[in-house]
Amino acid sequence: MKKNRLLINPTVELALKSQPKTYWFTILIVLFMIYLIVISFEGSGINEYRLAQFAKSFGYMLKGFMNPDWEYFFGTGDIWEFKDSIVLAAIVTIAIAFIGTALSLILAIPMGFISARNITGKATSKTGDVILVFIRTFPEIVLALVLLRVFGYNALTGVITIAIHSVGMLGKLFAESIENIDKGVLEALDAVGANWLQKIRYGVLPQVLPDFISISLYRFDINLRSSTVLGYILSIGLGLKLAFASNGPDWNKVASVMISIIVLISIIDYISGKIRTKLV
Amino acid sequence: MPRSFTLPNGKIVTKPKNNAWIYTTIFIVLFALFWLFIDFRARDIQLNQFDDILKQMFSPYSAGGIQETWKDYFGYTSKLVEPLIDTMKMSFAGTIIGTVAAFPFSVLASVNIVKNPWIYQPFKFFSNLIRTIPLMVVALIAVLFVGTGILSGIMAITFFSFSIMIKMLYEVIETVDMGPNEALEACGANKVTSFRFAVFPQVVTTYIGYIVYIFEINIRASAILGYVGAGGIGSILKDNVLYRYDRVGLIIIVLVVLFSIIQIFTNLIKSKLV
Amino acid sequence: MIKFVNVDKVYPNGFQALKNINLEIYDGEFVAIIGLSGAGKSTLLRTINKIHPITGGELYIDGQDISKVQGQELRVLRRGIGMIFQSFNLVKRMSVFKNVLAGRVAYHSTFKTIFGLFPVKDKTIALEALDKMGILEKAYVRADQLSGGQQQRVALARSLAQEPSIILADEPVASLDPITTLQVMDDFARINKEFKITIIANMHHVDLAMKYSTRIVGIKDGEIVFDGPVAELTEKKLVEVYGRSLNKDDVLEGV
Repeated sequence: MKKNRLLINPTVELALKSQPKTYWFTILIVLFMIYLIVISFEGSGINEYRLAQFAKSFGYMLKGFMNPDWEYFFGTGDIWEFKDSIVLAAIVTIAIAFIGTALSLILAIPMGFISARNITGKATSKTGDVILVFIRTFPEIVLALVLLRVFGYNALTGVITIAIHSVGMLGKLFAESIENIDKGVLEALDAVGANWLQKIRYGVLPQVLPDFISISLYRFDINLRSSTVLGYILSIGLGLKLAFASNGPDWNKVASVMISIIVLISIIDYISGKIRTKLV
Repeated sequence: MPRSFTLPNGKIVTKPKNNAWIYTTIFIVLFALFWLFIDFRARDIQLNQFDDILKQMFSPYSAGGIQETWKDYFGYTSKLVEPLIDTMKMSFAGTIIGTVAAFPFSVLASVNIVKNPWIYQPFKFFSNLIRTIPLMVVALIAVLFVGTGILSGIMAITFFSFSIMIKMLYEVIETVDMGPNEALEACGANKVTSFRFAVFPQVVTTYIGYIVYIFEINIRASAILGYVGAGGIGSILKDNVLYRYDRVGLIIIVLVVLFSIIQIFTNLIKSKLV
Repeated sequence: MIKFVNVDKVYPNGFQALKNINLEIYDGEFVAIIGLSGAGKSTLLRTINKIHPITGGELYIDGQDISKVQGQELRVLRRGIGMIFQSFNLVKRMSVFKNVLAGRVAYHSTFKTIFGLFPVKDKTIALEALDKMGILEKAYVRADQLSGGQQQRVALARSLAQEPSIILADEPVASLDPITTLQVMDDFARINKEFKITIIANMHHVDLAMKYSTRIVGIKDGEIVFDGPVAELTEKKLVEVYGRSLNKDDVLEGV
């Protein structure tokens, strides 16, 4: 059969032989990755005992989800007061994220302008950029741990940590937004004789404001998650509740806190998503 | 508060309601309300610590009076090698397993692949729920499940990568050009085959880009996972954080270097993808 | 042979796209379907390979009533029918060769096709199809790097690789410039005569339809208002099909 086809069309036969064999490359990469993954598990202590324990604990957690500790959640009942409740902790957690994000704007907006190549020159904006990069790469948790010493184990530390870290994140996004504006508007303002402050107010701001709000809302979303995590280290808010529930672990309480986290962040995600689509 | 202007020629112009004032007011009110919940005691603030801490972090200066040298400062690096490798292992394994596992779930959550709302809606809803759980919370739970060590770290990163990838991926799948898919179906392909030939090639480069992006996020976060006991460099951090700021500073420097190197690699991969 | 008997097609939203279609298409014909946009041309075409199943009447292909056909049988049916689209519908990132090879998927198991394990025979058929369309040298080039006319030829090669008895074409030249249009229509004519494949094409340009096909079917509001050889298509009958006299959009200039 094959021989017949060889005789029929030599050009086709040539084309058949000259197929690029790229699939070998893909297979090699896949095998290499699998190898890396397998050796990653070495020394991880994975064995049947641990897996069995995992299955058991997972079952407990699911049971906990079926039966969360509602009294603990709302601070009702005999044992708990509202000040111990999860709801209050959730409010504190949002508060930290909100205030932190809001405060970061004070520095983030100016830094955004400073780091924008079309506002300041190449040199200044590059300097601003480098500063922002440094603030960004500094791990938030480490920042919190350091600030602990200065401000103590309380919400303020959380606020300041989030605020500082967000300056780095927001500053960069603001700068990018400013760099993407339509230059024509600035030219027109130049033509009517505006000074740089007026140019920013009437030329730049109207274009970037919706973007800034959108970016800030997105950051608030993310900071809400950070706020929960920081709470664990700083012993406040939902993080504290999680730490408390981990003693035991008391799966009913763990489930309650998890539910609270999921519900809280889902709602805020949804609202901020809606607002952001409206902004576009 | 609509204001009207009457022009000299008699025409009346009404300025439309400006909502910006309402939103700003809401913002200020929220700010004030939330501020009530931020507790702090002014007397706890020890700003003078700042200077001290910073010096300790990034130089051989030591608060205890024990004079160190730069050699001592950087000497600690040798102890960091193994935890760093652990961190890399965790991030890599977890990212790959999680993102690959997310693929079928994304497909099932896509409106254009799975026409039936009874299937894609629950998957979408499920993915939106689990996306909300921060990585450290997942890690904490993982530690509760299997104890401390790398295993919990791998599990945590797997779940986290899985949870964020699903939505990222289904959003891509849903914007794909379905024309080639129709062509494949017209050739007689079944759903799986037409997906593999018509949809998959359109998403695969974006998918890999996302895997790289998620890997970067995980590397940054997994350095901290150790804080809850999930292994890697974070546990060293936790042990040293309150009294040996020189080590903390060193770890930060090492991490920044590590992140930069990884950034170079990932940028390389991303450029190859186009 | 394709036989429509009192065929209706009503979409789920209530819109009736086809009313009482009776049509017989014999092997080896080159049929052009003309009519206004929205008259039902695309729907008619897609009932043949059951992308839009009919809701009333019967549809026979080579004696088989296709209303019951599904699953593996449907795939066998479809692999014998090629389809060409106005927007080519090639997978842009894949090579031309792989695009054509995709036409062979219905001949093998899912497992094999997923991993791209096509036998040498299939690969040869694919390359031969490309050769027949005169673009063998582009075999390993990415599909989106070809011109429009070349892409449509790749699509034709994909259909040829299926070894079909029928090719359906939905406005195959509407996206092409006038010169390429003629080249691709020549390809269709050649495929029809040389390989004895039945061609059913929706045509936007009436003059092209009249030049290349042997038989014209005119559709208006879901009904067939003209069915006969090209010679019988008079100016008056055209007005019936379109509901108005022709304007320059309906004619390819210079033909």
